[in-house]
Amino acid sequence: MTNKPTSSRRTFLKNGAILAVPLAAAAAPAVVLADDGLKSRLAKLEDQATIRELHQNWLRQINRANDSEASPAATTLFADDDDAALGRLVRGIAADHFGEPDAIEVSPDGRSAAGRFHCVVETGTPIAKDCTLAQMAHAQGSAFVRSTERRVLNVEYIKTRGAWSIAKAEFAAA
Amino acid sequence: MPGTPYPKEQMHRIAYTKLTKEQISEKLSAVSGPTSASPLSDVFAGKSIRIVTDNGPTLSYTFNGNKQLSLTDGNSSAVNAGYGAFTLDSIVFFSHMIPNTVRGYAVAIDRSTNLATVFDLWFCGYKDNREVQREIYYGYVEQPGQDAPKARHATTDRMEGKGFYWKQDAGAETLELYPSTSYSNFVELSRLGGELSFCAPSDYVKIDENHYIYTRTECEFSGTFTGYVMDLNRIEQVGTRLGFKANDELEYYVFRGNGKWLGQFARFEKLGDERGAEPPAPAPGKPAVKGARRVYRPFETMPKMTRADVDAVCAKSSTAFEAPSGPARAGGAGAGMAGNLGPNSDWLAGKKLTLRYDTLPAMEYRFEDAETLHYRKGGRAEWIKARYHAYESCPGVFLFGHLLQDEPNHDGHMVVADFDQGLVTCFNGYLNTPYFANEAGVKIHFGVIEMDGLIPPKYRRHELTDEMVGRSITQNYSPGLTSMHVYTTPHSLSWVIFTDTDSGGLEWSGPAGYVKIRDGLYFMYWLEEACNGTLGTILVNLKAMRDVGIGYVCGARGLNMGAIGAHERLVGRLDVVPFYRVRESGRLE
Repeated sequence: MTNKPTSSRRTFLKNGAILAVPLAAAAAPAVVLADDGLKSRLAKLEDQATIRELHQNWLRQINRANDSEASPAATTLFADDDDAALGRLVRGIAADHFGEPDAIEVSPDGRSAAGRFHCVVETGTPIAKDCTLAQMAHAQGSAFVRSTERRVLNVEYIKTRGAWSIAKAEFAAA
Repeated sequence: MPGTPYPKEQMHRIAYTKLTKEQISEKLSAVSGPTSASPLSDVFAGKSIRIVTDNGPTLSYTFNGNKQLSLTDGNSSAVNAGYGAFTLDSIVFFSHMIPNTVRGYAVAIDRSTNLATVFDLWFCGYKDNREVQREIYYGYVEQPGQDAPKARHATTDRMEGKGFYWKQDAGAETLELYPSTSYSNFVELSRLGGELSFCAPSDYVKIDENHYIYTRTECEFSGTFTGYVMDLNRIEQVGTRLGFKANDELEYYVFRGNGKWLGQFARFEKLGDERGAEPPAPAPGKPAVKGARRVYRPFETMPKMTRADVDAVCAKSSTAFEAPSGPARAGGAGAGMAGNLGPNSDWLAGKKLTLRYDTLPAMEYRFEDAETLHYRKGGRAEWIKARYHAYESCPGVFLFGHLLQDEPNHDGHMVVADFDQGLVTCFNGYLNTPYFANEAGVKIHFGVIEMDGLIPPKYRRHELTDEMVGRSITQNYSPGLTSMHVYTTPHSLSWVIFTDTDSGGLEWSGPAGYVKIRDGLYFMYWLEEACNGTLGTILVNLKAMRDVGIGYVCGARGLNMGAIGAHERLVGRLDVVPFYRVRESGRLE
């Protein structure tokens, strides 16, 4: 009797992004009062905190994923074709404590933001099912070539209807 | 006329009856309990015990003598059942079915700790009703006035790599190798004559440093469950066997046995990692499935083709040594089984020679370049062009292969040409075999090389050997694709896939043969029968710890001959060869 997970990493990535809405909605609205520097600064700090929480929740969703299926959606994390052509799929992302501190910059109008996170990325390249051994590896749920690299995760955020969500995420060389 | 120990059909060829639940119930109701060749233990006679398990049943037993018990399972009414028990040191093992059901229990209790492991066993839990399902519960025997113990028996990898010869009290003799944490490899010496080894999903549970529980369920075959407690030092076992034989007769007995230690293979988990195999994780948001285990079911997924199918696909596509497609990169992920192959040799380019086989028409060759040859079989007039690759395993010894044209069985030759000795061995692959036409078969041909400047021997040949039997070698083909061969019998081998933590995982086996080219250099094949039908051939160089090889496989996409190359590690050797020697009586030793 076997038991195979049914969800995919695509689901987790999607859920991670959707999760941003209630999180952001729960946070205090970042109302900017142009003539009040203190309130503006407070709003920026609140936005940064909300985005940081969004980021952590998103990473948690990715790292919790426990499926062995290839996920084309994960390749969208790669910035350019060269990386995507490696056929790698993200299996996990962890903070790189040897890297630079996380940086989150909120735009002056408070509608968008950019995050820069030094991280350690575990990728898994699926093994083609072209021989008995590979088929057995897939049946066992261990049909990936895993590798770990230090990268920088650049994420663009957008605020719509008062809630932050991820607009784009891509890796760059560390 | 004396009988032989060999079956009419080997296990992987038997069309086991798809028994109905009614048939199984009827057969179970006809027996009062397990049979036994040895006197049963009365260690529990007249006693009552209550077993509490974690996340499982609470079982209250009263033992009335050494053959009858009364069981209250949780809050259900008491039922009477026949049972059989044996002791092994402080451990009691007993087994019983529950009347009017298709289920029962096998229980191991360590009286020195009061810890218990309960195997809940049942039929009719899979689409093949005869396949025994099992769930393992860990717990303890309740002691009045005492707190529940915190320790538990647990799955372990401490058994991995061991191998034993076992002889049960009723005479059944087996070799049982445990090269995986979730599978095992067994050879039925007395039941089937010990020609082939087979593999089955298995459990390994640690009781203490010297006592372990092992189970196997012969999935893809009869579905029979075997479980026993073993003492590693005295090499003794007590256990049970439950299932239906090939003739559908119920086989339910408890047994004692003793045996011999065959040795220990190396293990590859991180040092200190003694975890056993985890059951498959449940689907997200779903509860764990009772009895979940990983089972490799190659027969379900293999292509099954007729001779007409094979002829059609071979006519459409017969290829040899095509460059890998898709994202494959030489030596990298996606390189499949050829990632560590090394370069294709051009040493044969420009040469002319004749391979004169003892049992096959002579093959004349003209090697045009490193990838093109022309051959002429049996002195025919016309030369036939074919694509080939050659790999030099060690100086003077080459493995090359090519497909043959206009052969009714779509033959392919995988040839070791030994120019140091002037000897040649050919594994002649072919299709249109009796069970499934796309399953490859093989014939071995020995012979000599005739070419200018080379005088071959008159009598000497490469020879079949058992020098590899009992050995195990890992093969890393490319990143992420590593297997471990276990050369279990002179006529079969098994292969194990590693898990992400480098434990042995899924395992399967097939018929095999071994030819000695020279010391440390062996040409071998395996057939993936009732699997994918592949004929795999490798030339194993124990000195360089690498192999080069050629695979020959027919599937829906046609016939393909492709390269294999791996870096190896020596896993070790188990002392199994003596068990395959034929005694004067004609029976196996």
